[in-house]
Amino acid sequence: MWALGGVMRSVVVLVLVLVALALFGPLMAPSDPTAIDIPNRLKPPGEGWLLGTDALGRDIFSRLLHGARWSLGLAFFVSALGLIIGTTLGLVAAVGGRLADWLVMRVTDTFLAFPELVAAVVIAGLLGASTESLIFALTVTGWMRYARVARGVGLSLRSQGYVVQAQLAGVSAFSIARWHYLPALMPSLMVVWTGMFARAILGISTLGFLGFGVQPPLPEWGTMLLDARVHMRSTPLQMIWPGMAVLVCVLAINLAGDALRDAIADEKQT
Amino acid sequence: MIQIVASLIGRAVVVVAAAAFITFALLWNAPGDPALAIALARYDALVDADLVNQVREEAGMSDGFWAAFQAWIAPLMTGDFGNSSVNGRPVLADLLAALSYTFPLALFALTIGLVISLPLAVLATRYPGSLLDRFTVGLASIGVAIPAFWLGLLLILLFAVQLSWLPAMGARTPYHAILPALTLGLGVAASLTRIIRSGILEARGKQFLPAFRRRGVAETVVARDHIAPHAAVPVVTVIGLELAFLLEGLVAVEVIFARPGFGSFLVEAILARDYPQVQAAVIIAALIFVLINLGIDVFYRLLDPRMDVGLGGRDA
Repeated sequence: MWALGGVMRSVVVLVLVLVALALFGPLMAPSDPTAIDIPNRLKPPGEGWLLGTDALGRDIFSRLLHGARWSLGLAFFVSALGLIIGTTLGLVAAVGGRLADWLVMRVTDTFLAFPELVAAVVIAGLLGASTESLIFALTVTGWMRYARVARGVGLSLRSQGYVVQAQLAGVSAFSIARWHYLPALMPSLMVVWTGMFARAILGISTLGFLGFGVQPPLPEWGTMLLDARVHMRSTPLQMIWPGMAVLVCVLAINLAGDALRDAIADEKQT
Repeated sequence: MIQIVASLIGRAVVVVAAAAFITFALLWNAPGDPALAIALARYDALVDADLVNQVREEAGMSDGFWAAFQAWIAPLMTGDFGNSSVNGRPVLADLLAALSYTFPLALFALTIGLVISLPLAVLATRYPGSLLDRFTVGLASIGVAIPAFWLGLLLILLFAVQLSWLPAMGARTPYHAILPALTLGLGVAASLTRIIRSGILEARGKQFLPAFRRRGVAETVVARDHIAPHAAVPVVTVIGLELAFLLEGLVAVEVIFARPGFGSFLVEAILARDYPQVQAAVIIAALIFVLINLGIDVFYRLLDPRMDVGLGGRDA
């Protein structure tokens, strides 16, 4: 899997850089992202402020670096929660017999029948804007794809010799799911996960922009865009940076996902 | 076929009913007193305990969850979505008025998406791996990764603020639809380009094509009769996903362009805690969405007769 092309290698490097940014970015920030400094508000990029300051005189560069922890960190957390919930439900459907399968898949279809982000807006908005509501809303609307993949692969493995033999030997359904299905599932789940990770970043910034997500003064990228929009005429550059940050992260993760999918397809062929 | 359509319809009914129930449960458990919110919205600051109790009585909220659910769902069955708890007007009329702005915008955006993506994908696949092909793929990857609301802000900045070519805010003239439709359309174009491109490439690798060529069938006829139908199958599959993507984009795009429509309606209803409006918006959206997916499912089965087993839906 690691015999990768040049593009893939650079994408892996980019993703590692993003992870490092989320972990260590705040440590590198030159100033406090929430320190208000009204006399120096809406400064252009340059001396003292690498990317200028916002309407409250806060350093935009510092806010971007701290924002990585919110935008990327939350997206990672939300997509990992979805991975755990969805995979568990999918495996229950695959090993749990007909009734469990029917039940889980109908619930999955119902949740898939509504555009996820619109549902997340409704849920987060009604629960009251906060980080907890945001996490809840995006997790509730973000587990279905994992469940479908987990169930699909699980069902396709059911007639494999080693699974049948394990069943005949009296191995419990739980152990079969844990030791036979789950390892075989991992590559497909990772491809789904990269897609959901990217979607979560977009979802968090969209909800933040609509005012239903991470609340000010926390420096989340969507929330920063909401602030910047008001001053679009006087300081248009302020609006560029947070959007750029979202774009670069989503692009890098999508490309990594594409490369991973190709690598898996190649491995299957050989 | 009739059996399949019947089971698809049955599933659609379950989905809409579940959406209605989940929305109601969510509203019921949302923090704050809905009766107080309604009373405040209606009578401003002149609210006392009696008034709140009166509102609670009217909405059937005093006898617990199930009584309130019944009080809400019974008129709904006859198509009565009730009145807005904020402005008192019938919810359905306002919602339909909002949708009358959203539908043309969505169609406009889909058209832009198709007009850009189809020729681009066809040109790019003429020489796979060429500069044009790689350029197309790169552009599409960037387009998929751009948040719709940010692209909208950039377009406003460029065309409305800097160049003053197009109006940005509101929906007074048809020109006001250009920027929002472009915002959504570019996103649609990006993901459609990727899908159509890989659809064509896969169809061109089919093993039966050389047989036609050796028999002397013209290349244009092969493309039209044998490559295009095969390339269309994956495209139709993801149209449902595409519409979901469009609806998601619409919410934020309508808000940034200050356009009336479904998205603005929903966001304003949530911010005002106008429960009847939120419920109506969710149910109508679920209904529209399920109907569209139903149509796609049926169409897909007509297009590809092999798909008679296993119910598809919005699979990734």
